[in-house]
Amino acid sequence: MEFSNSCSSFSSSSVDSTKPSPSESSVNLSLSLTFPSTSPQREARQDWPPIKSRLRDTLKGRRGDDTSLFVKVYMEGVPIGRKLDLCAFSGYESLLENLYHMFDTLIICGKRDRKHHVLTYEDKDGDWMMVGDIPWDMFLETVRRLKITRPERY
Amino acid sequence: MNYFPDEVVEHVFDFVTSHKDRNAISLVCKSWYKIERYSRQKVFIGNCYATNPERLLRRFPCLKSLTLKGKPHFADFNLVPHEWGGFVQPWIEALARSRVGLEELRLKRMVVTDESLELLSRSFVNFKSLVLVSCEGFTTDGLASIAANCRHLRDLDLQENEIDDHRGQWLSCFPDTCTTLVTLNFACLEGETNLVALERLVARSPNLKSLKLNRAVPLDALARLMSCAPQMVDLGVGSYENDPDSESYLKLQAAIKKCTSLRSLSGFLEAAPHCLSAFHPICHNLTSLNLSYAAEIHGSHLIKLIQHCKKLQRLWILDSIGDKGLEVVASTCKELQELRVFPSDLVGGGNTAVTEEGLVAISAGCPKLHSILYFCQQMTNAALVTVAKNCPNFIRFRLCILEPNKPDHVTSQPLDEGFGAIVKACKNLRRLSLSGLLTDQVFLYIGMYANQLEMLSIAFAGDTDKGMLYVLNGCKKMKKLEIRDSPFGDTALLADVSKYETMRSLWMSSCEVTLSGCKRLAEKAPWLNVEIINETDNNRMEENGHEGRQKVDKLYLYRTVVGTRMDAPPFVWIL
Repeated sequence: MEFSNSCSSFSSSSVDSTKPSPSESSVNLSLSLTFPSTSPQREARQDWPPIKSRLRDTLKGRRGDDTSLFVKVYMEGVPIGRKLDLCAFSGYESLLENLYHMFDTLIICGKRDRKHHVLTYEDKDGDWMMVGDIPWDMFLETVRRLKITRPERY
Repeated sequence: MNYFPDEVVEHVFDFVTSHKDRNAISLVCKSWYKIERYSRQKVFIGNCYATNPERLLRRFPCLKSLTLKGKPHFADFNLVPHEWGGFVQPWIEALARSRVGLEELRLKRMVVTDESLELLSRSFVNFKSLVLVSCEGFTTDGLASIAANCRHLRDLDLQENEIDDHRGQWLSCFPDTCTTLVTLNFACLEGETNLVALERLVARSPNLKSLKLNRAVPLDALARLMSCAPQMVDLGVGSYENDPDSESYLKLQAAIKKCTSLRSLSGFLEAAPHCLSAFHPICHNLTSLNLSYAAEIHGSHLIKLIQHCKKLQRLWILDSIGDKGLEVVASTCKELQELRVFPSDLVGGGNTAVTEEGLVAISAGCPKLHSILYFCQQMTNAALVTVAKNCPNFIRFRLCILEPNKPDHVTSQPLDEGFGAIVKACKNLRRLSLSGLLTDQVFLYIGMYANQLEMLSIAFAGDTDKGMLYVLNGCKKMKKLEIRDSPFGDTALLADVSKYETMRSLWMSSCEVTLSGCKRLAEKAPWLNVEIINETDNNRMEENGHEGRQKVDKLYLYRTVVGTRMDAPPFVWIL
């Protein structure tokens, strides 16, 4: 977004000492003063949006965007894997449903079964575990990748 | 006039507690004025520079509780330099000298020093309650004096202050004999906390109802604290990072289940995303939930928690909850009265941000809603019209569209009609904050309909002085008007000087008012303090050849009965 106003600088607050001269002040500010909110060069203002310093500092210190967690998913015996964003699911049920559509086969978790594909995962210790034993939120914290085992392996 | 002896009248006055009502009583006649002033125990001073300690004590010699506010509201957003003023020291000195029986002191946006706190702690034997909101200038040494010397301390409530944490032992300064604590809030402290001292203090405080921890209190300590204070009503969690160490997590779950009196939850200053499920068992009792600092918690977890909170009356949350999350709030929290949705992403519009849809959903689902603060990416007139229809009971309506001057994103029109609908429908509206693209028209509506409006915040709005004039002429109950980055100038400022006598204060920054306009105002109204805050150009303002036509960076004016203040720093010029 660009400034089309003759008021050269948007930052008309005290931070900027170059103010428009009185002759320019009659320009209608509301028409063309814009905020380049999508410009990556824009430095964060300290006085907008109007939130308290404590919240501003908290938000600045965030680890980053926690809205996605992509992990690799392999079907045993199939060399090419897939990738899934686990944050898109609300729990194990929706994960399984999605895998069902993705791999076109019923997959279960939480128990061993001779007949069905069983979902397993590698945790952050490098161990392969059965999916479904721990709360979903804890699972998101520890999962590294998924593997769908073939029937009759156990 | 009086058919009853004074003592009877005084007894009747005891039932009148609100400041407005007591002020009204004191105006009835001289006799009532006298009775009222001797019986007034709680005094509220909205602007510490409107009067002085001597006048306060002369009029209310029996006061027990004092509330003082210092800096103007926009100081919260870094628009007022730290050294501007609002010092509490002279007040405490005067109160100490007068030997008044002070029991409670509540300060907002004031400068408090360790010296002030030390003097406070030593001067009032029955001092019980200290509440500091958005204050600065003191360290944990000052807190140590309060802890050590106030024998009957009941409340130590520190909300969002800037405190220099010396990592000292202020918590261990509470003597072993101190068992009277009801409120302990130190969430804003950034340093280490002596956990042993804290646990001992909590264990010997059977009346402790409100405990708000800082980020240095880890999960296992939280579990221990909660298990020795099951009577807790209001809890602020500090750090809430859960490792797979299930033992402390299990202990916490057990402790939480025992806290059947818990009604208010806040904090989560450092939180790993999945931990909230431990709190699900007590959610059905919660009336207040503040997760506005829990920046690490994913929207889906917030939603899961809220689904259990059917009795919620107050919710403060980040916009990471999304419109979908707000729909869940709307269908779950039928008792909701106050909602605040804060921005979680300051850099650019994230896709989890909230829009007008969330606001409409809330207005439709929550019939008791009367106060809202809503930061969002976009808005439409149609949505605001719907909100006005759904919720005619708003007392406070604050909308902040993150991008200034943004129009209705569907029609590209200004949002005048939307806000117009709000002020027309909400006959009890006392506080309003505007945003988005707005012309003078919205101010015409405000002047016409917002009869009860006491506080108005304007940013990047309006076209001409007419806008400001509509407001000044129309809103008879206006108390605080704060304007930034809007094209209002001397004509509006000077049109009706007597209006400012009925208002507490006016703030104008980055507007079109000039130095000569302000000087003229100061001449016409000697009972006003007209302050020019100009950090860069103060000296040059006078020398400049344009003299007088120079635009004023920041103007703050307020009525006062004690004239120019003597404690202003060099960059504040009082005309």
